Amino acid sequence: MRLTVNAEAHDLAIQGHETLLMVLRDRLQLTGTKLGCARGECGACTVLVDGRGVYGCLTLAAGCEGQSITTIEGMASGESLHPLQHAFIEHDALQCGYCTPGQLMAAAALLSRQPAPSADDVRRGMSGNLCRCGTYPKIVRAVQAAGIAIRDRAAQGEVDASA
Amino acid sequence: MPPRKRTVGPTRGKLPGHDTEPGSAALPDAAAGESAGPTKRFASTKVEIEGREEIKIVELPDFEPAPWGQDEPLAIVGQRVARMDALEKVTGRARYTADLHRGAMLHAAFVRAPVPSGRVTQLDLEPALALPGVRGALVAADVPGVMHGGAPLFDPVIHWAGQPLAALCADTPELARRACAVVVLEVQASPHAVTVQAALAPGAPAVRPSGNIPKGQPRIAQRGDVEAARAGAHVVVTLDVRTPCALHSAMEPHGAAAEWMGEDLSVWESTQGIFQVRKDVARSFKLPLNRVRVMKDYMGGGFGAKNYAGAHTYAAVALARKLGRPVRCILDRDGEQTDAGNRAATVQQVTLAARGDGTLVSIEADTTIAHGYSGWFASPAKIYHELYACPNVRTRETFVFLNTGAMDSFRAPGHVEGAFGLERAMDVLARRLGMDPLELRRHNSATRDQDKGRPYSAKHLDQCYSEGAARFGWTHRRVEAAASRTHGGRLRRGVGMSSQIWGAGGGPPAYATVRVNPDGTIDVLTGTQDLGTGSRTIFAQIAAESLGARLADVRTVLGDTERTPYAGNSWGSITTASVGPAVRVAALQARARLMEAAAELLAVDAGRLTANESIVRVDDDERTMTFAQIGKKLGDVMIIGQGSRGANPPDTAIAAFAAQFAEVEVDTETGHVRVLQITSAHDSGRIVNPTLAESQLEGGIIMGLGYALFEERVLDAQLGLPLNPTLHDYKIPTIADVPAIDAFFVRSADTVANHIGARGIAEAPIIPTAPAIANAVSDALGVEVGEIPLTPWRVLAAIDGSR
Repeated sequence: MRLTVNAEAHDLAIQGHETLLMVLRDRLQLTGTKLGCARGECGACTVLVDGRGVYGCLTLAAGCEGQSITTIEGMASGESLHPLQHAFIEHDALQCGYCTPGQLMAAAALLSRQPAPSADDVRRGMSGNLCRCGTYPKIVRAVQAAGIAIRDRAAQGEVDASA
Repeated sequence: MPPRKRTVGPTRGKLPGHDTEPGSAALPDAAAGESAGPTKRFASTKVEIEGREEIKIVELPDFEPAPWGQDEPLAIVGQRVARMDALEKVTGRARYTADLHRGAMLHAAFVRAPVPSGRVTQLDLEPALALPGVRGALVAADVPGVMHGGAPLFDPVIHWAGQPLAALCADTPELARRACAVVVLEVQASPHAVTVQAALAPGAPAVRPSGNIPKGQPRIAQRGDVEAARAGAHVVVTLDVRTPCALHSAMEPHGAAAEWMGEDLSVWESTQGIFQVRKDVARSFKLPLNRVRVMKDYMGGGFGAKNYAGAHTYAAVALARKLGRPVRCILDRDGEQTDAGNRAATVQQVTLAARGDGTLVSIEADTTIAHGYSGWFASPAKIYHELYACPNVRTRETFVFLNTGAMDSFRAPGHVEGAFGLERAMDVLARRLGMDPLELRRHNSATRDQDKGRPYSAKHLDQCYSEGAARFGWTHRRVEAAASRTHGGRLRRGVGMSSQIWGAGGGPPAYATVRVNPDGTIDVLTGTQDLGTGSRTIFAQIAAESLGARLADVRTVLGDTERTPYAGNSWGSITTASVGPAVRVAALQARARLMEAAAELLAVDAGRLTANESIVRVDDDERTMTFAQIGKKLGDVMIIGQGSRGANPPDTAIAAFAAQFAEVEVDTETGHVRVLQITSAHDSGRIVNPTLAESQLEGGIIMGLGYALFEERVLDAQLGLPLNPTLHDYKIPTIADVPAIDAFFVRSADTVANHIGARGIAEAPIIPTAPAIANAVSDALGVEVGEIPLTPWRVLAAIDGSR
């Protein structure tokens, strides 16, 4: 089957039981996506499938044919970081960093649904991603700040386009 | 050849030029060692680690710089610099142990005991070995003398449910787990004791042959005469307290990978102590230390559970040797939650006696600890002796062996449990006296370490009380919460607070090397670990500050027993105060050499040179040289500075202090507790990077909130099995549970503790959180709650009990 990950097509012989997480980590060596529980409890394996956040450990790879998968490795555009990545660094919304890729993916999914989330929206939208270091307060701030940055950039783009 | 003369003790004092500005020239090296004085190279010093004081032999450094003072003009230390490894972490490029791929690597998993006590009668591995892709197995006979969790590894005698009985090795982790599932395992179960009640009952099964209570226990510690003091007191209160068994639940489970190259063994491990793991592996397999290399780059949290090698390490090492291929062994979540350490549950009876004005006259605590099969005796009693001034204190501790997995250090082990009992009881006392709980604590403030009769290096707890109370709005929130309760509605608000003390002085041994490369970049090498705490960043800050270098040019290399000089485990809140001074000395030595080189190149006296932002300047003319220009001229001459941590000040207690305030809202119909606000004021000496330090405070508070409200390992007392070894059923806080948190440091630099002025942070914030929240719940309900976690049913039971 053909799996499209970070805009790159991979032709793979995948067995029915293989999860998206296993394929990403063990076959494609995309180890940025983490394994925390393997049963949909922690969110460390969150990736985007057609822009929607899913748990990689509960998603069968075979079901992802024809869909566009984005992992943490595909979040930045070349050397240019995604506004969420910038915001996580700036607000120190990470400590050990193990849950961070999943948090960023979940945040990207949230911002695509809700471009201007309130703090409560972030808390609701991100509650499927555990962090044992306790970076939550800073994650709320970082996600809101990134939302503003993305909206500002879009507005700037409109201004530039109309100029 | 006559021995070289050394000074006695560290040459504490001025570095040439250091007192003028941080960037000025310095020569702390050999010259200092040639000054007059009797010869003494080694001395002993006291180091407190997680409540235990140890005597360490220390090689006295040739030179110790004068401490940075409170108003030291520092340019980089104290700044809110972004975490230096953040880019790797937000891009997924940070490689954790489980991300490591070695050529032809195999994967191991464990067959685990399905009962808490008994004996293996059959262990047939053939069905597993017959599966295609399964490469080998490991049983007890393969690992003689190797210990795990207090028992021989793969012991056929079962001591706790989840104990490893064998390991299977296969091409993939999934296949290794499948192989474990098809092993034919038969066990003869025997009577078990998984609760204190069961273990202490007459005729209880013997968890250990020597008995269910360790020799020499109950452990009693006392000062003064509590009976006489209590008899003469105006007020006596007694409170019964229960605290739960809590699981570390790091997002990254324990794991290791091992690879042999001839006689040389490389181990990658998610660990808080690379040198400890090296020692454990070398001892277990009878290897010379110089054949074992242990590495840790990134790790996904530890919280105390990752201080030693474990079954996963030994399985990876032994299978790699047996099969001749690299082997990785990462625990699955069930294994992590059942056999990777815990904070032991306690039962405590606390009695406080006071005079009418609130002066404590006696403190008594009788504590029983559900210890598990093994571990160390982390003392819940210690904080009863330390936190408040009181001449008469008696504590009694009984650790009980059980057929449950070994306890392990868990963020302020013992203190968290004891603080809950003491600080909850202090609020009961305040209510009985009709006193403001904050006032009661201020009134009983301890000015010295009473058990050992020592002063504190510095203590600003009073400042924490004042600033914390002001920022929290203690007075008006108390009034408003009380007013809200008079309406008799379903939702009731309450406020509470708690104090904290935790030994956080660090100490030797710890070493660092600082190298200036020919292009002017700088490497800081030290064998400590960054658990997510930010040590990579703060050591770069300290080195850049001391060297007069540009921070962006400094890189910290940690976690490799072959590349980096020794530093101890990242435990006991010791890392900054232990390694920081060593980094500073190494950087100062490197700077001194760099300045001498620059002096030669510029044909001036080194005393006329200063360094700042990686540029060396001559004092009274325009000439400058960048570090890169100096490096280029020097070619491959290496500028290397070595530093070590000196002795701790004698007869001095060094601790971190804090005052924490909480407001909660309790739903009296559902029993749900919502924490609205936590304010936490900390005194940890100098803060090298406030942003990272505040992140760590928030993390500790959130972990404490979980302990107060949700976290509890539940065992089936009949079966002796854990019922919630998952992250779904063992509840850690989510982002939705987190209140507004205002965590900050009072301004302080500890010039007595060590020459960078810093004390520890990591464990301090979790200690007061559960009592502060429970005190607030008690305030809201008008009921003295004594048991955590405050799950809805416990809250409802407390309300019912009061009716």
